[in-house]
Amino acid sequence: MTSPEINTASTNDAQIFDRGYRSYSGVRTGVPGAIKTVISQSVRSVLGLGRSARHKVIPVVVILMTYVPAIVFVGLAALLPDEIGDGFLPTYAEYYGFIITALFLFAAFVAPELLCTDRRSGMLGVYLSSPLDRTTYLLAKLLAVMTILALVTIGPPLLLLIALSLEGSGPEGWINFFETLGRIVLAGFMVSLFFSALSMAVSATTDRKGAATATTLGLLVGSAAVGNTLVEFDYSRKFLLMDLLGLPSELAFRVHNELGNWRDIESVFVWLAVVGIIVACGSWVWLRYRSLLVRR
Amino acid sequence: MTSVPLVEAQNVAKSYGSFTALSDVSFTIGSGITGLLGANGAGKTTLLGMILGLHRCDSGSLRVMGIDPYTAGAKVREGLGYAPEHHTLPENLKASEFVRHVAELHGLPKEEANTRSSDALWLVGLGEERFRPLGTMSTGQRQRVKLAQAIAHDPDIILLDEPTDGLDPVQRDEMLDLIRRVSVEFGIHVILSSHLLDEVQQICDAAVIVGDGRVLTSGTLEDLRGSGSDVLIEIEDLDTVPLVAAGLEQAGATVMVSGRTIIATGNDDAVFDIARDVCAARNAPITRLSRRRLSLEDVFLETTAP
Repeated sequence: MTSPEINTASTNDAQIFDRGYRSYSGVRTGVPGAIKTVISQSVRSVLGLGRSARHKVIPVVVILMTYVPAIVFVGLAALLPDEIGDGFLPTYAEYYGFIITALFLFAAFVAPELLCTDRRSGMLGVYLSSPLDRTTYLLAKLLAVMTILALVTIGPPLLLLIALSLEGSGPEGWINFFETLGRIVLAGFMVSLFFSALSMAVSATTDRKGAATATTLGLLVGSAAVGNTLVEFDYSRKFLLMDLLGLPSELAFRVHNELGNWRDIESVFVWLAVVGIIVACGSWVWLRYRSLLVRR
Repeated sequence: MTSVPLVEAQNVAKSYGSFTALSDVSFTIGSGITGLLGANGAGKTTLLGMILGLHRCDSGSLRVMGIDPYTAGAKVREGLGYAPEHHTLPENLKASEFVRHVAELHGLPKEEANTRSSDALWLVGLGEERFRPLGTMSTGQRQRVKLAQAIAHDPDIILLDEPTDGLDPVQRDEMLDLIRRVSVEFGIHVILSSHLLDEVQQICDAAVIVGDGRVLTSGTLEDLRGSGSDVLIEIEDLDTVPLVAAGLEQAGATVMVSGRTIIATGNDDAVFDIARDVCAARNAPITRLSRRRLSLEDVFLETTAP
């Protein structure tokens, strides 16, 4: 009779992991680390990462709306003969015309989601009791909004550039390639900054997300209507600069050294209008947060 | 134990327009658990805000671990944990995600923050619940999450604003035990803002009593409760109590009689000698002669009396 084998391996190999709270003496990442985590958490929150499917609907729809035209153009350019394909391909600045609706919808959604929610949920108090202060908190949120918007302002034209270059329809030579790349990044950056500043200014004014989104949309559409109506009534063409919806697209044309829709307005005025609006919105946000009584 | 006081305020004043939130406030907070005690609107929240470096003093000086929290706010706040009073937390965030995020905000690298958020949640008894969204948690669980996020980054000091608000008596005792454990076992100093005397008396080593924007008194609970100048005299024979009381009054002491007990107020330790002599002269055997120990409630009522 044989004695039953005892599986000693499992007991000998067993380890006790000491789980428990203990002190921490490692490095701390300071304010840069805090800014980084706010950006990362904000991006995750807006894109619905780690959340149920319903939180992903808006970002997925918007991202599709901005990337699909680029994919279609690249596909057509690949399938059609060069002389036909090149004729209907939009320029990198013209591409904003295809995605501007998705872009301003996204802008109106992102900033309220990040700023209004923090104030309503008490997270602002939690943030301000960390190494962040009001200025660094706002900087982190601005970078977060810009990062998210850059997905749709830089991403699709960049996809277009890379894909067209790979199939031989892109800029000729490396110098032209990098020049175009630089212009795409600058245009995308400025458009993101413009929409971020505008929607953050509205979001700093009300705690209600829905109201902030509606006001941002109203401001963009309303300003376009007013600006264009004034020009229709023979006022100066410079009133077009009031058009907050057309202004970033026009700036993209100027960045790409192309004639835009407002050809009779010099580029310097377009730049001044964009920078002026960004500075005004930024100042408004900062003033609002400086005087905000934080509920802790 | 630190040699530098954790918090030191000297003649601090703070106003918002015409409203004076704090006026000529001076106190020192040392190691252990200190209760910041006062009625709603007494100035506790303003003080917490100043300790966090969110408000500048109009006059006077405030130091947290020797540093001005307003000018070096980021450095001070890195070593502080804070649990707010309100229960409104981001509803969609999972508890572990929230605690990890706050730990990262206070400078912990991602991996470390991840591990420690889990450890902190296990410590407060929410290990099994750590992946639940905050919106689905009860008030008691949210209070524990707030404690976990305050300690996850291993701060030197935690500021807890009404940590038992909304809890039933059993949950309240559990939370107080937890706070005591955090302080004793892990050496984290605690500043506990509360309007509940019992709570402060139960777990605090010291208290700062605030009222109408002023610090009414502060010190260790031992000192505060023993700081009454009254002497308690217990007489064995009830019949001799009026005689002794009269004798004490003749000797210049102020007297209050309750049954066999006489409480005499006079000049410092001389009252002890007077009491001994009067009792001896009236042939009244003493069963107890001691400094009267005050409850925190007595101290509070004494200091807040108009």
